[in-house]
Amino acid sequence: MAEIKLNNLTKRWGDFVGVDDQSLHIKDREFLVLLGPSGCGKTTTMRMIAGLEDPTAGEIWIGDRMVNDDLPKDRDVAMVFQNYGLYPHMTIFENIAYPLRVRGVDKSEVKPRVEKAAEQVELTQFLDRKPKALSGGQRQRVALARAIVRTPKVFLMDEPLSNLDAKLRVTMRAELKHLSRELQITTVYVTHDQIEAMTLADRVAVMKHGVIQQLGTPDEIYNDPANLFVAGFIGSPAMNLINGSVRNGMFVTTGGTQLVKLDAADRAKAILGVRADDMQVHDAGQGDIDVTIYAFENTGESTLLTVQWGKQRVIARGDRHLRKDQDEVVGISLDPDHLYLFDPETEDRIRI
Amino acid sequence: MTGRQRKQFWRAVHAALILVAMFVMLVPIVWIFLAAFKTHVDVYQLKLFFTPTLENFGIVFDDPYRLGQKLFNSTIVALVTVVIAIPIATLAAYSFSRFSMRGETMMLVIILATQFVPAVVIILPFFVMFRDIGLLDTRVGLILVNLAIVMPFAIWMIKGFIDGIPMDTEEAAMVDGSSRLQVIRNIVLPMAAPGLLTSGIFCFIIAWNEFLFALILTNKEAVTLPIGLALFKGEEGDLWNLLSAAGIIIMAPMFVLALMIRKYFVQGMTMGAVR
Ligand SMILES: Nc1ncnc2c1ncn2[C@@H]1O[C@H](COP(=O)(O)OP(=O)(O)OP(=O)(O)O)[C@@H](O)[C@H]1O
Ligand SMILES: [Mg+2]
Repeated sequence: MAEIKLNNLTKRWGDFVGVDDQSLHIKDREFLVLLGPSGCGKTTTMRMIAGLEDPTAGEIWIGDRMVNDDLPKDRDVAMVFQNYGLYPHMTIFENIAYPLRVRGVDKSEVKPRVEKAAEQVELTQFLDRKPKALSGGQRQRVALARAIVRTPKVFLMDEPLSNLDAKLRVTMRAELKHLSRELQITTVYVTHDQIEAMTLADRVAVMKHGVIQQLGTPDEIYNDPANLFVAGFIGSPAMNLINGSVRNGMFVTTGGTQLVKLDAADRAKAILGVRADDMQVHDAGQGDIDVTIYAFENTGESTLLTVQWGKQRVIARGDRHLRKDQDEVVGISLDPDHLYLFDPETEDRIRI
Repeated sequence: MTGRQRKQFWRAVHAALILVAMFVMLVPIVWIFLAAFKTHVDVYQLKLFFTPTLENFGIVFDDPYRLGQKLFNSTIVALVTVVIAIPIATLAAYSFSRFSMRGETMMLVIILATQFVPAVVIILPFFVMFRDIGLLDTRVGLILVNLAIVMPFAIWMIKGFIDGIPMDTEEAAMVDGSSRLQVIRNIVLPMAAPGLLTSGIFCFIIAWNEFLFALILTNKEAVTLPIGLALFKGEEGDLWNLLSAAGIIIMAPMFVLALMIRKYFVQGMTMGAVR
């Protein structure tokens, strides 16, 4: 059981800044997800916690110990590597057993624990094989099993489900969630996948260019984005961002359409954010504005309407029984309680 | 020519070229093989059919040639060289591969450069030094010389194999609780084993065949097999049949090792990452 504290952590390679002076306090037993686009420094942050990368500046605390100078083996963490890092010369059983063996766990205890871990990731029938004889998804599960076979202070998981097929990913996600509730071990989890982030996390840290943009519960990140980047990054489809200005309490698009009432001060340039789910689709003439359908998509559980809105395209979500066709005209209305306003210069959120 | 004929034509050319190459390379060896089993009388005739005899192999081990002692010297020198060179070279190669240090490239280049110094240039200093410290005509002296010859080669070769082991694998082992030495023992050595074996065999071959230094630095006690060949010059000219028998004794381990290398070299090359 341990909390993790990162104090003013920086990682630079020459001039290139991988992680830029970040502080992060991960609570004991918390499941923290690092979310962000490729190359934003997620893996780097994790490797510094594990001790595989020396920070250029800053402190790393695990529990009540500053671990900057501790070797990886002394930090008592378990890590799932982005590209697995399996031991190709060992069988799957030996792979999973390695952390126990090297830490001198009693021989009689090794077998049952390996078997239990293998069972949790559905690998039982592969224990005698070598990693080479497994598929990508199976290898990833070996890496996962190797991490959960022990009870470390901290789990570090770098996109541990990224190579599984869609169905297995859902199962494993639930398995992980169950496991993390059961084990109650502080976890740092890196992912690209928003659903993983939303479902697994106690808190999410959204990163960009080595800087944490927002730290909050999945709810906060989704419903109360701190800036333009977070708003545009979270959600599938991403939040619609509409360029325009605020005049006399109205948001006016760049094209000149008076779109929606806003309780905000006038400004020459502003970006209005609205989620696909916060727009209602009506028949033509019945909404706030009439628009032409650019593309109509049926995902099964709902429908997505990409509509042409002046020079911009916006995505609205419709009922799953809605049937429309390209080039048809529909009415759209915006939910006034769930609108977001951003400053295009600073990209900061303007509270309304 | 039709496409099919053209293909056959080139295939024939291909086969012919291989045959020519094989012929050029194998003729001397075949000749030696035949000569080794011929009598003193037969050896000057290019006969393919003759009554084979094993007496040459008996003669070379008897007085005055005593090839047994040279065989012993060669074996000890080559084996000890390998046994010392491979562990040290492995540690050096691991450091070069995994740690970055100041002047690392420079050191690697210097190590490689020693390979380009012609042996005849440094043989005199070796001779003088060995004379002064009493290492002339000793197996220890020869082992030292051979170490100097094979080490750079072994370091470079093993470094190549260790470079091929993905960093992730080692890092995983460290996070899993291994010290650096445990990483080397549990992960690097098993994964690099085919490479180490290949390098070991190469070093053995180099040391086994080493001629120039042994020629200058030994004269009686520590003489090795290649030098021993020079003994078969009698008053009546070269004793080709004996020379050939000795040649086969020198070559025999090479054939065995070549077969082993073929197996492990491929394995060593393909034992890469599991991704
Ligand atoms: N050893 C290194 N030397 C120089 N730059 C590096 C090094 N390692 C990583 N970087 C750079 O640091 C940045 C952050 O890398 P990192 O691996 O943390 O990204 P990431 O967020 O994990 O991305 P992904 O989602 O693609 O895995 C990248 O731009 C990468 O090119
Ligand atoms: Mg990464």
